[in-house]
Amino acid sequence: QAEVEETLKRIQTHKGVIGTIVVNAEGIPIRTTLDNSTTVQYAGLLHQLTMKARSTVRDIDPQNDLTFLRIRSKKHEIMVAPDKEYMLIVIQNPSE
Amino acid sequence: MGDRSGLQAASQLFWKQGCTMMFKDVADFCICVSMTRRGLRLGMAKVTQVDFPPKEMVSYSKETQTPTDTQTHTQARPEEEEDEEELAEAKPAEDSQEKKADQEEKQEEAPPKELTEEEKMHLLHSDEFLTFFDRGSRIVERALSERVDVCFDYSGRDLEDKEGEMQAGAKMSLNRTFSDERWSKNRVVTCLDWSPQYPELLVASYNNNEDVPHEPDGVALVWNMKYKKTTPEYTFHCQHPVYCVNVVGTQNAHNLISISTDGKMCSWSLDMLSQPQDCLELVFKQSKAVAVTSMAFPLGDVNNFVVGSEDGSVYTACRHGSKAGISDVFEGHHGPVTGLSCHSAGGPVDFSHLFISASFDWTVKLWTTKSTRPLYSFEDSCDYVYDVMWSPTHPALFACVDGSGRLDLWNLNNDTEVPSASVVVDGSTALNRVRWSHSGREIATGDSDGQVLVYDVGEPICVPKPDEWSRLVHTLMEINENRDEGDELAAQRLVA
Repeated sequence: QAEVEETLKRIQTHKGVIGTIVVNAEGIPIRTTLDNSTTVQYAGLLHQLTMKARSTVRDIDPQNDLTFLRIRSKKHEIMVAPDKEYMLIVIQNPSE
Repeated sequence: MGDRSGLQAASQLFWKQGCTMMFKDVADFCICVSMTRRGLRLGMAKVTQVDFPPKEMVSYSKETQTPTDTQTHTQARPEEEEDEEELAEAKPAEDSQEKKADQEEKQEEAPPKELTEEEKMHLLHSDEFLTFFDRGSRIVERALSERVDVCFDYSGRDLEDKEGEMQAGAKMSLNRTFSDERWSKNRVVTCLDWSPQYPELLVASYNNNEDVPHEPDGVALVWNMKYKKTTPEYTFHCQHPVYCVNVVGTQNAHNLISISTDGKMCSWSLDMLSQPQDCLELVFKQSKAVAVTSMAFPLGDVNNFVVGSEDGSVYTACRHGSKAGISDVFEGHHGPVTGLSCHSAGGPVDFSHLFISASFDWTVKLWTTKSTRPLYSFEDSCDYVYDVMWSPTHPALFACVDGSGRLDLWNLNNDTEVPSASVVVDGSTALNRVRWSHSGREIATGDSDGQVLVYDVGEPICVPKPDEWSRLVHTLMEINENRDEGDELAAQRLVA
């Protein structure tokens, strides 16, 4: 459990990282470094998007599955590492 | 009620000039009327009604980002929440009503249920979470370190970024340094190996960290050259320090060979590591056990091998057959042999009889299995030479490292007196291990402080030209001639 904390801290203090959120299968955030309303917004929206991305991949090929989702915008990069049960979301400002 | 004199004056004005007056109440009017003299002249007066809107209560409806009654997980919140509550109370009642309405809306939009702290902690400790997190965090860390910007716009931007790549002509340049604060700091790198299957993976083993006796003595870390993240891919520990391991054989029929200073050589099957498959006592001339400090197998050979010992001698031996055990002794070093390497660069000429050894006596010696005296001695170092390795691709090239932090590259076809390339590692560490990558383009070296450094070797040095093999034949002939001459001279001096 201490390793999890250490790793989360390391990710959070990585250059350019704005926030880190761990979300469960229902889209409820269980660990976050952002304030509550931002967390809730990101968790809800990204959960929906990840579900949609996953179903897209699966529809094209049922044997396939989503392994990683990366959204590059003008200001940020959002990375989502999804799993059956959980999702790790990291928001980074890559120009820093 | 105002003073009477004022009112009298005002009422006279009223009657005389017909100006309008605003009476606060009927009482004023009555008094006014009763105060006039006789000769009332009543007339219609135009009354203009002026309406003053009721005084406005200025209020702020600024929402706070953290509504005061929502749970958050960090402990620092309670103080801030109290402040906000106080502020909220100070505002007029309308505000808190608005805020509450907003909060309710938010909670309706939010996920159907919130988890309590207990539930969250329970989830975070569960096995599924730990498995997920192990994989997810590794992927995310790799992605975080990559700085590839596919949207980069080259036109109109500074090209200053490009200058760093212009140094490609250098002989040896440091590519990466791998070190882990927790697991590799203050431990000596005891062994290095590149993966034959994934050329970007490198495993390094470390011995114990004297400063932290409660941590495991033996650590092995797998590092990845492909990604820019600075943490190891995988971490393994064991209770005893790891010194050296070697896997010999093919993919299907292979053995793990381990050798120790007690003179015992064991071969293990990877399926059953609780007991060695067989053991071989290495004794020389039926008396003394060989205290083995280094070992090497020639390319493709699983039976014959060479070992170096504490007393400075090198022995050839074989594992199986009637002559199992030590065969020949090669004397020449004056100190323990720290590293051995058998020639492995395949080509038009076979040089597999050549091997090199490194020793505490500050030298690297070149040997052939056909002769028990060294062919040549490389004496450019001023410190213990800790390891040596032939290039896997260039037949005349080998690398060696010593206690002063120097990494030397020798090319027999160029010069045997001085190294062709040399670099000193920063910091006052000794380099304990050197390993060429399978491509022969990179060199990994491990130091006494737990750092693994990977150097890129310049093309002109490490890529062999087609004539290197034939040139090496000539070089060896010269070396042989010189050696014989040297022996003759030495013999003459003894006689004289």
